[in-house]
Amino acid sequence: MSETDPSSEQLRRDVTRLEQENGALTRRIDQIEKERVEYLQNVSHQLVAPLNAIKWHIENLTEARMGVDRARKVLRSVYSQATIAVHLAKNFNLMSNLEADHALSKLKEPLQEVALRKLLINLADDFQPLAWDSNINIVVDEAHFADGPPVWAMRPLVSQVFSNIIENAVKYSSNDTKVTIQGNYLSGSDCFSVSIQSQGIPLKPEHVNMVFDRGFRSDEAKRKYPAGTGFGLYIARRIVEIHEGKIMASCRKHPTVKNDWITVFQVILSVTGLQGKARVREY
Amino acid sequence: MNTKTILLIDDEQALLEPLAEALEFEGYRVLKARTADEAFVFLNTEPIDLVTIDIMLDPGVECGDDVDSHKTGLYLCGEVKKYWPEIDAFCISVVSDMRVIKQVESLGIRFLRKGETPLRTVLNMFRSRLTGVAYSTERDRQDPRRGTGKNSEY
Repeated sequence: MSETDPSSEQLRRDVTRLEQENGALTRRIDQIEKERVEYLQNVSHQLVAPLNAIKWHIENLTEARMGVDRARKVLRSVYSQATIAVHLAKNFNLMSNLEADHALSKLKEPLQEVALRKLLINLADDFQPLAWDSNINIVVDEAHFADGPPVWAMRPLVSQVFSNIIENAVKYSSNDTKVTIQGNYLSGSDCFSVSIQSQGIPLKPEHVNMVFDRGFRSDEAKRKYPAGTGFGLYIARRIVEIHEGKIMASCRKHPTVKNDWITVFQVILSVTGLQGKARVREY
Repeated sequence: MNTKTILLIDDEQALLEPLAEALEFEGYRVLKARTADEAFVFLNTEPIDLVTIDIMLDPGVECGDDVDSHKTGLYLCGEVKKYWPEIDAFCISVVSDMRVIKQVESLGIRFLRKGETPLRTVLNMFRSRLTGVAYSTERDRQDPRRGTGKNSEY
């Protein structure tokens, strides 16, 4: 009876282990490839769709199929589709920076005073034509928008935070509802808090934090809009973190409308906090 | 006057608004559905002559559990061909997955890619299907450089 050579036994074990590791890696690569293809399909769907609508609207306009009033309506639609396309392009640009640098600070946007009420009114006006498609009103609630000092922030980035939240609110709201934006200056902590409330699909308790994860989309969101990328709120969180602020979500059942839920996103930004640190960090 | 009825199925109706606008201008009656549920309500209750189907679509509450929203349109294509074979169907989508496109076309449904097909082409195709007159690029066009286009297939 021959004894097993210890070195060949070790070799066999190593080969088995390597084969298992190779199998696991192959499965992981296949999964990444599948996610990559799905991501590209979603991106192309999101970018092509509004551009195609604009193209078709222009064909209608150039072929004089309509009178002046109709043309005005078409131009409003062109504007709303262009808003979506620009908004998406900004998100993909931010996302590529995030993927490349893992730090938005490398964008080196200048810090400036941002009047949040004015910024939010502009964004509400920007997204209102899109919201009209579902008979949704975006309201900057002046009665509940307390005056406070402007916040020191990277304006284009903060603008993208709120536009991502507002766009989501409009997309996932039920028809004939209202998106309400409120603001509150918290003098004790020298912060400004903005809340955006909408009525529509639920955000389950286990998802209120996951909703800010990269690529996360709830089943309810996927069902309503299959083509999303799950980047909007992730980008929002990263930008808020760079500003050393807070972002959170909550959801509760609507008291009277069956199947509708009330979702609130809250963003808290320090009024002067980042300004002091900015000098040191050279944002 | 043309009173044919066309059902447009797309979850983002704003994207089909220019098509609806042009079809209404040409005298068609246009119905719009955002979900598979809404589409089935129209298919069951309205005399529809032609339907356009998007691929990625909210199935709705009734169909929700059985259908993957990334392929709701594919499911709808199958159902339309099975239960309403007399309705002319087109698939209008940005989906680029050739397997899905082949599945749609294997049902005898023409696939038109959003962003690539001019509105005029879509309108001419619909007109050709609904009237039985062969598709012609000349119908709306006076440009002699484009050839006759008569009886050309699409």
